[in-house]
Amino acid sequence: MVSDKLNIDVSEILDARGLYCPEPVFRTKIALEKLQLGNVLKILADDPAADDDISRWVDRNGHILLQKNQKNNYFEFLVQKGK
Amino acid sequence: MNKIINQQNDLLNKIGNTPLIELESLSKPNESYFAKLENHNPYGSIKDRAAYWMIIEAEKNGILKKNHSIIIEPTSGKTGIALTGIAKSLGYGIEIVIPEKASNETKNIIKSLGAKIYETTDDLCPKVGSGTDQSIALATSIASSRPKIYYSPNQYSNEANFFGHYNGTGPEIWKQTNGDITHFFTGVGTGGTITGVSTFIKEKNPKIKIIAVQPQINHLIQGLRNFEESAKPELFIKREKIVDDWITITNDEAFSVVKTILNKDKMLVSPSSATVYAAMQKYNFDSDIDTKCIVGIFADDGRKFKSIYVNQNIFTQSEFDYALKKSKYIPKLAYTKNDA
Repeated sequence: MVSDKLNIDVSEILDARGLYCPEPVFRTKIALEKLQLGNVLKILADDPAADDDISRWVDRNGHILLQKNQKNNYFEFLVQKGK
Repeated sequence: MNKIINQQNDLLNKIGNTPLIELESLSKPNESYFAKLENHNPYGSIKDRAAYWMIIEAEKNGILKKNHSIIIEPTSGKTGIALTGIAKSLGYGIEIVIPEKASNETKNIIKSLGAKIYETTDDLCPKVGSGTDQSIALATSIASSRPKIYYSPNQYSNEANFFGHYNGTGPEIWKQTNGDITHFFTGVGTGGTITGVSTFIKEKNPKIKIIAVQPQINHLIQGLRNFEESAKPELFIKREKIVDDWITITNDEAFSVVKTILNKDKMLVSPSSATVYAAMQKYNFDSDIDTKCIVGIFADDGRKFKSIYVNQNIFTQSEFDYALKKSKYIPKLAYTKNDA
């Protein structure tokens, strides 16, 4: 378990940098399937399409987007498994 | 090791040269109907031909390297089985991207042959359509970010798919009919079969009529496309002028002939083969040809379609099992332990 800056406990990190959509969304789906309810997944992605695609997919599938941060060359998402 | 390699080569040598049998339920004086039984390929369908040609062509061009390259392809059925079987036999990794809603029978066969499967849902990518379109998007993204490892044959645009039929299926039909073929019927999925076979046989006799068979809109026929609801594949568009006529078959028309074919011709056919049979039966033939020799492609057999036939009330489960047991022309496949 890794603690985020805002003291959110992160259970797993998915580095999807270098991957093109929809692969980051697909890897997010697979990673969340392996987590327990309430656990948090950190996703790093640099495909510009990932910004909308991951946020939308998380929302539609009953998970919770806790944070989305724009870093230098990539996005960082914190997603809590919601179902 | 040599014994295993020889067995694999024997298997791949069995691709093609499938039987052409007369359909007694349709034939009448001066009008002979034949079915080309593509279920006699080692992995059970016409897709063995395209899969084999696409892999061999990529080998020749230095794209594939044994024990290094991974073949990845989006597919919802027969091509996944064929590519997996052939890729494994030739020493390549294989990953199949398949819609989650594809039949469990097909997914289980692909897994048992050794492919890694990625199942896609309709909500992965908002920019493309549902079903196989999502699988195409994922396969493309996986392959494009790792070009040194992955190769996606893409049967919808790969010329080797055309040449597999131009060099194989077409000449076989010409020889098996002694050049007497007058009409050719087949469904259209990628367009490889219809363009490859038709180009060859029309070079031999330009008067042969080519009839493209398509299912209705919102159809239930796996492997075929209706071009009012699906885009025409690049491979088909290149040579679509080869088609002389189109016929559309409804789900009801296709499913209603499954039992007729079983009872009269002793064959348990797939929904796509039933669609081609229904088209041959329904088509209004020109009266100016005295003696007709009509050939249709039966792309696979009915063994993988128990669930859809039961759901469509064509057979009960026990009727299906009995039909499969009693059906002629159900060969042993590379992945079946016993006949049927």
